[in-house]
Amino acid sequence: MDIFSNWMMGLSVALQPYNLMIAVVGLILGIIVGVLPGLGGANGVAILIPITFTMSPTSAVILLACIYWGALYGGGICSILFNIPGEPWAVAVTFDGYPMAKSGRAGKALVLSFLSHGFGAIVGVVLLTFFAPIIAEFALKFGPPETAAVMVLTFSAMTRLGGKSALKSLVAIFLGFILAGVGMDIVSGKLRMTFGTVPLMGGFHFIVAVIGLFGIGEIFLTVEEGLKMEGVKAKVTLQDIWDGLRDLLRFRKILIMGSLIGCWLGIQPGGATPASFMAYGFAKSSAADKDQFGKGASSGIIAPEAAGHGAGTAATLPMITLGIPGSPTMAVIMGGLMIMGLQPGPMLFKEHADFVWGFIGSIWVANFLGLILVLAFAPAFAAILRIKFSILMPIIIYVCAIGAFAVNNRMIDIYYMIIFGIVGYLFKKLDYPMAPMVLALVLGNMAESAARQALIMGHGNPLIFFRPPIALPLMLLALILFFLPTLSKWRKKLSAKKATVQT
Amino acid sequence: MRKADIIVALGLMVVGLLAIADSIRLGFGWGMSGPEAGFFPFYMGLGTVICTLFIVLRTIKKYKKEGSGKPLVQEGGMTQILWVLLPAIGMVLLTELIGLHLATVLYLAFYMGAVGKMHWGKVIVLSILVPLAVYVLFDRIFLIPLPEGLWGKNIMALIP
Repeated sequence: MDIFSNWMMGLSVALQPYNLMIAVVGLILGIIVGVLPGLGGANGVAILIPITFTMSPTSAVILLACIYWGALYGGGICSILFNIPGEPWAVAVTFDGYPMAKSGRAGKALVLSFLSHGFGAIVGVVLLTFFAPIIAEFALKFGPPETAAVMVLTFSAMTRLGGKSALKSLVAIFLGFILAGVGMDIVSGKLRMTFGTVPLMGGFHFIVAVIGLFGIGEIFLTVEEGLKMEGVKAKVTLQDIWDGLRDLLRFRKILIMGSLIGCWLGIQPGGATPASFMAYGFAKSSAADKDQFGKGASSGIIAPEAAGHGAGTAATLPMITLGIPGSPTMAVIMGGLMIMGLQPGPMLFKEHADFVWGFIGSIWVANFLGLILVLAFAPAFAAILRIKFSILMPIIIYVCAIGAFAVNNRMIDIYYMIIFGIVGYLFKKLDYPMAPMVLALVLGNMAESAARQALIMGHGNPLIFFRPPIALPLMLLALILFFLPTLSKWRKKLSAKKATVQT
Repeated sequence: MRKADIIVALGLMVVGLLAIADSIRLGFGWGMSGPEAGFFPFYMGLGTVICTLFIVLRTIKKYKKEGSGKPLVQEGGMTQILWVLLPAIGMVLLTELIGLHLATVLYLAFYMGAVGKMHWGKVIVLSILVPLAVYVLFDRIFLIPLPEGLWGKNIMALIP
């Protein structure tokens, strides 16, 4: 068994004392980031990328990924105890988590959330371990047209799953690509869209954009709404863990379905947020006791939490095998890898197998460590939220500024960060999705060179993007995914019209 | 909300137009070695302009039918946002002069004291401890230099 020996090797790398320590540090930081509203997984990772420049690539990716796992675990704490989602993917948990906590079963609600997270993570990582090598092997056959097709598929899936207006999603994608194009053109070496100014020559770094859009923008939203932290106090006792385990077994169908929904959405880039909503909707529609939902139903916690973490973990699969991140946070992690000179994609499995398997091993180890950490210290992490917001807020802005500066050691990036913050606030208010924009910013150069190389291969004939056998079905799938919702809407309208005509 | 929607869409359209203008300068056709430098941005800019045009038209239609809708910023929200934004901009401008560490001390002290209305003893302790911890972590342990500003080095030298 080739996979098995590789897997053991990965685990042994992840279990080295130094990497274990890094994992624990990353998880704790991640949980804090997840608990705090206004600091999300994406910008938590973005801020810490400069620190990882001094580490070995494996340790660096363990640190960055652990922040993500920690943030996934931590998001639930805030939702359940304070009714304030610490992360976008924890919104669906507030529907049932908070009512359950309020009715005096806060400990049980937390345990249910954590265990579902753990289960979702296991399903995701099993999938990753067994399918990643197969997909990577397959992806070795990809040329530039196929790469371009995969990217089109990514963006069309993301556009449609975000549930936002298709036009606005398209604008976000185009803008991301335009911003990525600012600066030196990597093919011809010409300066683009700098308009003769020196500061624009360096271009826009995606880390700065992420910190601004997700960090600063989120803070504006939070202060506008006027945050009130009135939480439920909680202790996790052994009795709670026992109760939680029993409920988990009782609702095992929902647990498994939630995890699978999550994994599916993580692989075809949707991210953890739509996954958690979809799983919640599924659990609600399939439950026998529908009226319990919204009042603290166990399955209303299990489904979205398992799906959220499953999606987060499964998002690693397309990132590491195809170089296509399945969620915005994964996009940032991938950007970090690219800075270190590791280009995610099928070649990574051939050239840096030790790195890839160390990373996969660390996902196993880190998710178990994370589960233990949150089970043991949930009340301590919740206590962070009792710190006054007027202390937290300026410190968060300060940390964001450090992160933005440290990317390139440029002062101008801090100004960009504030501008991106304002843009992020407006985008959020007006319902422009930010995840596709960040993805476009990270993938910008890759997508552009793939498109240009493909066109050169096809001597300028755009039909090369539809070349069989691989690019054609991918492109068709992308087009179907993109136009299906619009078509079904039209059909509904048409049939409605017909109905009115006939009557 | 709808007015803001239109204004933002128009603003984004300008970005798209800028991209197109620059692509035309660079050439967006078929050059000596395949697509020219402006090829990709041209179509991205074109896409932005077309999509924002549709957004503007759609929103204007809705605006005429249903009025302007909810305001963009909640009532009383704007002052709250400005209370965050303006000190933050102030901190960045100060950083240019005296460096990030010293600017942060002033920024934290100002925010916690003036906005948070906390006890001044706590304010002083926190606003010195946090930047100090960051200084030790970044400048000393990870050796990542943070901005020193115009006079930051000289002032820091005064402190033993």
